[in-house]
Amino acid sequence: MNELMEYMPFLIPVIILELVLMVTALVHVVRHPDYRFGNRIFWILIVMFIQFLGPVVYFVFGRGDE
Amino acid sequence: MRAYWAFTKKELLESICTYKLLILGCIFLMFGFMNPFIAKITPELVKSFMPGGISIDLPAPSAADSWMQFFKNVPQMGLVVLAILFSGMMAGEIQKGTLILMVTKGLSRTAVLCSKFTVAVLLWTVSYAVCTGVTYGYTVYFWKTKDIDHLMPALLGVWLFGVLLLASDLLGSVISKSSYSSLLFTGIMVAVMFLLNIVPRIRKFNPMRLVSEPYGLITGALKTSDFSRSFLMTGVLLLILLVLSGIAFQKKQL
Repeated sequence: MNELMEYMPFLIPVIILELVLMVTALVHVVRHPDYRFGNRIFWILIVMFIQFLGPVVYFVFGRGDE
Repeated sequence: MRAYWAFTKKELLESICTYKLLILGCIFLMFGFMNPFIAKITPELVKSFMPGGISIDLPAPSAADSWMQFFKNVPQMGLVVLAILFSGMMAGEIQKGTLILMVTKGLSRTAVLCSKFTVAVLLWTVSYAVCTGVTYGYTVYFWKTKDIDHLMPALLGVWLFGVLLLASDLLGSVISKSSYSSLLFTGIMVAVMFLLNIVPRIRKFNPMRLVSEPYGLITGALKTSDFSRSFLMTGVLLLILLVLSGIAFQKKQL
């Protein structure tokens, strides 16, 4: 437990960052139903369960043109 | 000049709307946090993975270890993300045909190209600076040492290589129609540099050196002067890429 406390200064910002990315991507997935490939469920799973890379892959490759 | 500023503003706005800024910021901020963290946690990890009874003495992680992580993560993962994000710099606009109207109305093609490149370099610089700042802050906080030898030239080398990647993305993007082929162009360029790295004679001139060996600078195995040829070569290559994309874009059918 003591060790965990020592790592807190790293862990909290990383978790916040991951959450920010995930929530932005999730909102985008739900609001924009057009994707370059895949469907909504597929992208929601990717964005939620692949840390960091999931949202990045969605925004770069999956996001459809508006 | 006014056209350039206007287009640059539009590019900046676009990078916010297409989430480029967000992604770059988050990824590089994360690297900034991860570098000192990985350096600190590695001995613990190794200890817990060791079967019982066996004990090895690992030196306590130092500030240099934290920077070693930096020079491993940023060139490997960070630059890949950078190259992928900016691969569609031109291709997107050419595919959608959004440039035609502006160019026929008198916006110079050079201004378009310059704006695109300026914004790309600006975004890269900002995210790189943020990443460096966070790593620096945490390293000072945990190890209480500020003095790392030759940190500045090592950092500058990685930054310059990032700019080179952006320039090659730009050229690839101008001569091809899709963002995938522009990514392929950058990939091939990096692969060629990797291959050339095998030849010891060329190695001294290879831009690859800026990202593959900056750790030598920090440990003191290499001197700054060892890198001067790579810096020069990268600068020359950068200029060639930019001039080529300028020429190619003038002749490109939009």
